[in-house]
Formats: sequence, structure tokens, C-alpha cells
Amino acid sequence: MELLVMIKIDGQRCALRALQVHSVIEIEAITAVPHAPDHILGLCTKRSQTLTVIDCLRAAGKSKQVNPLGKRAAVVEHEGHVYALLVDEVEDVEDSTNEIVAVEGGYGTEWSYLAEGMVETAQGPALLLNIDRLIAGAGGIQKAA
Amino acid sequence: MDDLLADFVAETREMLEASQGEIIAWEADPSDKSRLDAIFRFVHTVKGNCGFFDFPRLERLSHAAEDALSDVRSGRRDSDADLVTAILAIIDRISLMADAIEAGEEFPDGGDDELIAALQPCEHETGVIADHSATADVTQADSENTNSNNKPAQTSGAVTARTIRLPTELLDRVMSGVSDMVLARNDLAHRLQMAGNQPTIDGPFERLTTILADVRDAITRMRMQRIENLFSVFPRLVRDLSNELGKQVLVDFEGGNVELDREMVEMIRDPLTHIIRNALDHGIEPPSDRLKAGKRETGLLSIAARQSGNKISIVITDDGRGLNADKIATKALEAGIVDQPTLSAMSREQVLQLVFEPGLSTADAVSSVSGRGVGLDVVRDNLERVGGTIKVTSTPDQGSLFYLTLPLTLSIISGIIIEQGGEFFAIPQSYVEEVVQMEAETLDFITVGDRGMVTFRGRRVPCLNLADVLGLPDQLEQKQRSAILVRLASGDLIALMADSICNISDLVVKPLPPAIMQTELYGGATQLDDGTPILVLDIPQIALNRNLISDTRAQRIGGLDELEEALEDGIQAMIFVGFDGRKRAMRLDTIQRIESVPASALEVNAGDPRVIIDGQILDLIGLEGASPATEKVKLLRISDGTTELAYAIQQIEDAVVLDDTLTPAKEQDCVEGIVLHEGETITLLDSYAIFAKYGRVAKSKTSLTCQLPDSDWADAILAPLVARCGYTIVSASHDQKPDVHIIMAGDAAKDQPTAGGVIVIQDTPEDGAVHENSVYRYDENALVEALRDARVQALRAAATGKSEEAA
Repeated sequence: MELLVMIKIDGQRCALRALQVHSVIEIEAITAVPHAPDHILGLCTKRSQTLTVIDCLRAAGKSKQVNPLGKRAAVVEHEGHVYALLVDEVEDVEDSTNEIVAVEGGYGTEWSYLAEGMVETAQGPALLLNIDRLIAGAGGIQKAA
Repeated sequence: MDDLLADFVAETREMLEASQGEIIAWEADPSDKSRLDAIFRFVHTVKGNCGFFDFPRLERLSHAAEDALSDVRSGRRDSDADLVTAILAIIDRISLMADAIEAGEEFPDGGDDELIAALQPCEHETGVIADHSATADVTQADSENTNSNNKPAQTSGAVTARTIRLPTELLDRVMSGVSDMVLARNDLAHRLQMAGNQPTIDGPFERLTTILADVRDAITRMRMQRIENLFSVFPRLVRDLSNELGKQVLVDFEGGNVELDREMVEMIRDPLTHIIRNALDHGIEPPSDRLKAGKRETGLLSIAARQSGNKISIVITDDGRGLNADKIATKALEAGIVDQPTLSAMSREQVLQLVFEPGLSTADAVSSVSGRGVGLDVVRDNLERVGGTIKVTSTPDQGSLFYLTLPLTLSIISGIIIEQGGEFFAIPQSYVEEVVQMEAETLDFITVGDRGMVTFRGRRVPCLNLADVLGLPDQLEQKQRSAILVRLASGDLIALMADSICNISDLVVKPLPPAIMQTELYGGATQLDDGTPILVLDIPQIALNRNLISDTRAQRIGGLDELEEALEDGIQAMIFVGFDGRKRAMRLDTIQRIESVPASALEVNAGDPRVIIDGQILDLIGLEGASPATEKVKLLRISDGTTELAYAIQQIEDAVVLDDTLTPAKEQDCVEGIVLHEGETITLLDSYAIFAKYGRVAKSKTSLTCQLPDSDWADAILAPLVARCGYTIVSASHDQKPDVHIIMAGDAAKDQPTAGGVIVIQDTPEDGAVHENSVYRYDENALVEALRDARVQALRAAATGKSEEAA
């Protein structure tokens, strides 16, 4: 049993560990970071703290473009830096009803890289995402491969 | 690890550092028993703590040392070099053991007995003890006297300077918390500003701002550490090294009370140690050589720290044999750092700087002291990483001098905000040498291949277009952009072309996540006042990635020297085109800044022209009756230290060095002289005359001064009236002469110097006619009139003075 924040990315129901999520913010403005890796959209602020905005879709290696303004993001901390993980929707906080399980045959290359496994919740199955990999991004996929 | 144990290790280490200096001083003068106290206290405390924690080996060692020291203290034994060495060996062992305890390791067995045995006095000494007991008694009595004198002072000192020990992590957290508070305040300030004036909120907010500024100041100080803490380990280092090398060295410190950022202290620890090692190993000669050279046997090493503005300079000098420029040159050639033609073109000074190049070591043999693979190049790199610099000068057989500069703090820096393609970026101001408009003709932008270059003070400087570096669009025409001339810590000069320069502000720089750092473009993130995050450009890294940091830095040192030489015998000036279309020059040191203001900020129609810059009203000169037709007006903001003026100009030509002889031309208004520059005659403005002419008007307009008689009546009744007439009341002790002096009739005899008029106050109405300028004390109308007259007189005097000076 684990508390999960249910999110939607590109229509796909995913989950983050609630313990890792500090808060959820709405992106108002983004400062671009020229030449930054593809999945880093830029910097934004939350209560005068500077956050690095990560596009989860691009972190998965998909090349779909989204307009981040007005979208929501889950704030997580990783190795002393604070990130905002841009998602389509933040739905709810749910209890997982079972252990994390791997699905035979994976979830497709892109999702497989980000996902730790599948969890069952009251809303149905969701992909549990790995924050480390989201932050490392698609560039990390090549390294891992 | 147990908290208590951690405290024990920390305390041991702290006491150890504190007693280092004492140990060396004691060795220098073994009879000085007052030095022993600190060392004795150290071993004693260690012994006590060890018993508590059950460290039998530590306890045995400290016990033995304590016994020996206690013998010396009580006069039963004399201290000698052997004893000092033995005690030092034990103290070293104790610190090593403390390290092992902290790391949770087991300290290797054995060796303790030898150390303890070394403490035992040699045979011949036992015989001497009896002879010395009498003198020892005297010394002891003496030291007791001094002790009793010192004690009260020490106690009171302990009360005022109470300290507590805190984990540094906690300090850092508080530090970053305060930085965040500053950012949050800025954010709030911005929102309040947008919401408009709200007196009920603005008041408390102002208060918050003041408090925050105070707290920030205190926190910054908390981070500060006296450089003494760093210095205190050096006497021991010098002692050990000089023993090892068979040299005699006296080390001298200065400016130990200079404070700098705790982190900075850590950053410079290794570089300083390295330079000291070098000085002892290569610099200072063995005693015999020194005597031969006619020097004192004992070499002198001095380390001085000084704070100047937001920089700390540290100077390390030795009186050794100095650097051998020929040897450095040969080595540099061998190592392929320079080629022969470059080398022959270099001055001795420049050759010396080659010691900081990687791969150059003048040491013939690698000794245990220096030449351990850590070269001066690493020292320079480490210093540059924190924004510092290093230079060396040396006179053969006289010694050498290493000159280091460091920024005061790492976390809050002054930065210039620039705009490129609609995005904002910051550049640490310490790098910025000058900002030049691209339209200035002399800048002469050219492209060689794909490399852009500008000409700056007669030199071609590589120019980077920020748009290319960052992959952002150019928003403006080339001519409208600005070039920022950046001087890297290495001395290389490069130009950065950006759309525009916004402003200068204090920046709290925060680290960036690794994914952004890997772009090697940014050094950190900061926030503007409105809370927008912006990136701080990592200029050295950008330059390095584009191969703009020359391998042989001597080349551009050459350029620097030329400039410095030129400065010595020329006048540094700014050439500009005035509103009358004539070319003029103004001394560069008068010019504070070049401003570009909208024409609407000028007030030219009513009376003397003025301009509003940054919420300040400045008198405006240089318009010569013309009214600017352009939207933006360029101004030189000039200052004589107290008064500021704005000088309107049409265009800036260049900053130059006027090295031709100046032909005085006093007959012209505000002109110092005429000088020939590149075949053209340039009129050099006389800054002195300008301030004499325009500066004082502004001052006298503000208020005239009036000195009152010294009486209660004057303070209570007269003062408000005088103030109402527009005077500032000054006391008799005021430095300047008052413009008007009011005196009582009886005191008239004292003729005090006044710049303006004197008004005499009569006690009775009848006396009015007796004295010129005298008024009955309750005749208000007459008094006001007299004050007005005096005011007119004073202004007229100022005006004539002005025209006399002008003529």
C-alpha cells in the first residue's frame, strides 16, 4: 500500500509516489534555457524558488510539442535541485491496491524507460513513473542503452 | 557517530589549531613559559576527555606530554628543541588519532612508546636542574605576576565574546533561507507596486525590508571568517618545512582580522599552502648561501591580507633568491609553451607569469616539499574558479612577491542584466571591463572568416555574438546593439555582442541542475526583482569552449602592459561629439557612467536645464541651448566625488589615451587645453572648471547656512524664524564658514569669520540706529528683511566668484 499522486500524461494514466511530490503548481511563465536538453523546458518560480521545468513527454523521448503555460506541474526534489514535472492533468491522490508489477513485454520503448512498473488503483491501472529517469530525460535513455 | 564523540573530535581539532602558533612561539623562545599554558591546556583537556571516552592510547600519550610540560611549567625542567619536537610529535599523533576516531577507523598499533620515550630528558640535563632552580623560581614568580594581571581581562573578554558551535550545514540552511527571503520580498515588492499605493501595507512592508536588510547583513557576517583561522596553521607548516630543508625562516602575518567568506577560506587554503611551500623550497636559500649573499641567516616570509572594497588581496613575499627569469624562459621553450620569437618579445615581468602555465616546473629535482605534481597552474586555476587572480613579481636575489586577489563572497554578486532576443541574462559585473555601443565608429566591427572582431583601444578583440552562442534571434540592427568587453580572470579580453544592457543589480546566484550545467553556458540562476528567473552566463566557460582563452597568456599581458605604460604618461579621456557638433574630450576618471535617457526626462525649457536619472535630479550641461531632436539622449554622468552633473552629448567617439602634450587654453570657457590625437585637435574639457562653474550653483541653491548666537532664546525663538527664511542652522563648531552670522549686540566684539553678512541683534528697539545691520530682537519684519538681504548678498558673492573663476 502506497500513496500515489495520479497524473495524466498524453492521455496515459500515470502515478508518482506521493512522498516525492512536494506540491502541485500551475505554470505561469517560463524562462527559456537555450541549448538545454530537449526535455528541459526552462525555469519557473514558485514562491521565489527557482524550478527547472521538465516536459515528461519529451523526457520519454516523444517529440510532441505542448504549450506549457497554464498547465500543471508536480514539484519534486532530486539531488538538492527542485523540478517541476509538467503533466496534462493532476487527478487525485490514491492508495495503490497492490505491489508494483512488471508487465510482460513492457509498455513500449519510451514508457518502459520511465516506468518502474504497473500499479493497480481504485481508478484502474497506472504506470508508476521513476523521477530519476524523468529528470535524466531521453538523453539518459541513450546512456542507459 | 555519537554526538559527544563528534564534539570531542571537533574540540580537539579546534584547540589544536589554536595552539599551533603558541607551540612555534614557544620553540622560538623556550624560556617563555606563558606560551606553555595553551599547549598544556590542550594536552590536559585531551587527557581528561580520553579518560571519559575510554581511549587508553590517547590518554597515555597526552598524559606523558602533560607530565613533561608540567615539569617545565614548574621549573623542574628546561625546555629545549628536543622536547619541543617530542611534544609536537605527540600532538601530531593525537590529531591523527582524532581523525581516525572521526572516520570510525582503528588507528594502527605501535609507535606510542617511542614517542613517550622521546619526552624523557637526556642525561646531562638532570645535572643542570639544580643550578637552574633559582632562576626558574624567579621566572615562575614573574609569570605568576603576569598571570594575575592577565586574568581579570581574560574573564571579562570571555563574557563579551561568548561563542557556540554550530554545524555548518545549519548555517548554510539559514543562509539560503535568507537569500530566499530576499527573493520573496522582491516578488512581494513587485506585486505591491502593481497593486498601487496602499499605505496600510506599504508601512509594514518598508519595515520588513529594513529588517531583512539587517538580517542579511548579519548572516553575511556569520558566514565570514577571519583569515587568521587560515593563517594559524602556517607557522607549523613553515616550521616543519624549514626543519626538513635545513633552512631558517621567520614567518610574519599581517591583516589576520580581514574577514572573508567561509567557503572562500577553504578554497584558498591549498593555493596558499602551495605558494608557501614553494617559497620555502625554491625561494629562501640555505643559511650559508644567505650569509654569502650578505643577507641575514634567517629568511623572512610574510603573508599579508587586506580588504579593498569587495576584493581581498593577499600578498606573500619572501626575501629569497627570487625567480630566475632565464631559467623559466628556457623551461618554457623546452616545454613548448612559447616559441622563440614570442619569448624574445616578452618583458621580464611577462616571462615570470609563465610559472603559472601548466607543465612548467623550475625545480631540477622533485623534492618531498614541492614538485608533487601540483603546480602553480593548479593554484591559478583554483583561484580563477572562485573569481580570483594571481600575479608574481620578483627581483633577483631580493625575493619574490605573489599577489592574489579574491572576491569577498561567493553567493551574492553584482551583475549586469543584458537582453538578447527577448530573453534576459546576467553577467557578473566583475568581468565587465566596459560597455560600448556598436554604433561607435571606432569599434570597427569586422569579420575574419566566421570570427567577428572589434577594435578596442587599438587592439583587435574577438567578438562573440550572444545570439549565436545561445541560438537566439537578433532583434536589433547590428548598429543598435551593445558590445560588452569582458576581461576574464586569465587576462584575456573578449567582446560579447548583445541586444541591450538593462541594469546592474545585486544577484543571489543559485546552483542549476546538472542537466542545465552540462550545456556549459550557465553558471547559475538568479531572479529579477519581479521574480522572473534568469540565467547567469558562465563567461569563462563560454570563452574556453570557443577557444578564446589563449594558451599562452603572455600575449595579452603584453597588451595590458602597453596600456598601462601608455596610461602612465598620457591622459585617459573619452572623446565625444557635443551638441554643437564639436569634438571634445573629458577625463575618464570624472565620468561615472554613460547614460541613455528618453528626451522626456530632460527639462530644458524652465531655467537651468535638468535631467531626471534614476529618480535623481541632476543639473544638465552641454546642451548649449540646443534641444535634442532624438528620442534618446546620451549623457555623461560626471562627478567630482560630491556633486554630480549630467553632460549631454550627441555621440561617443572613443575612450583614448591622449599622450601628446597639452597646450593650455585657459582663455576658453571650461577648457583645460588642446591636444593632438591621431592628427586631429581635440579640446580637453576642464573638469575642475566645470564643477566650479556648475557644481556650486546647485549646492548654494539648496540652502544657505546661518550661525546663531549661543543662547536659549536663539535656539527657541530665533531658530524657527531663521529656518523659515530658508537657512540651515549650523553650530559654531561647523567646519564651513556660515553664509550669515547672527550675533547679539554685546558679543559683537568677537569678530568671527563669515562668508556672508553679519546681523546684530539689539536688546532694545532704540539701539537700532547705533549699529549697521542691527535689528531689535522682536522686530520680526526687520529681521526677515535682514535675512533676505543677506541671502541676496551671499548669492551675489557666489555668482561673482563663479564668473571670476570662469574668466
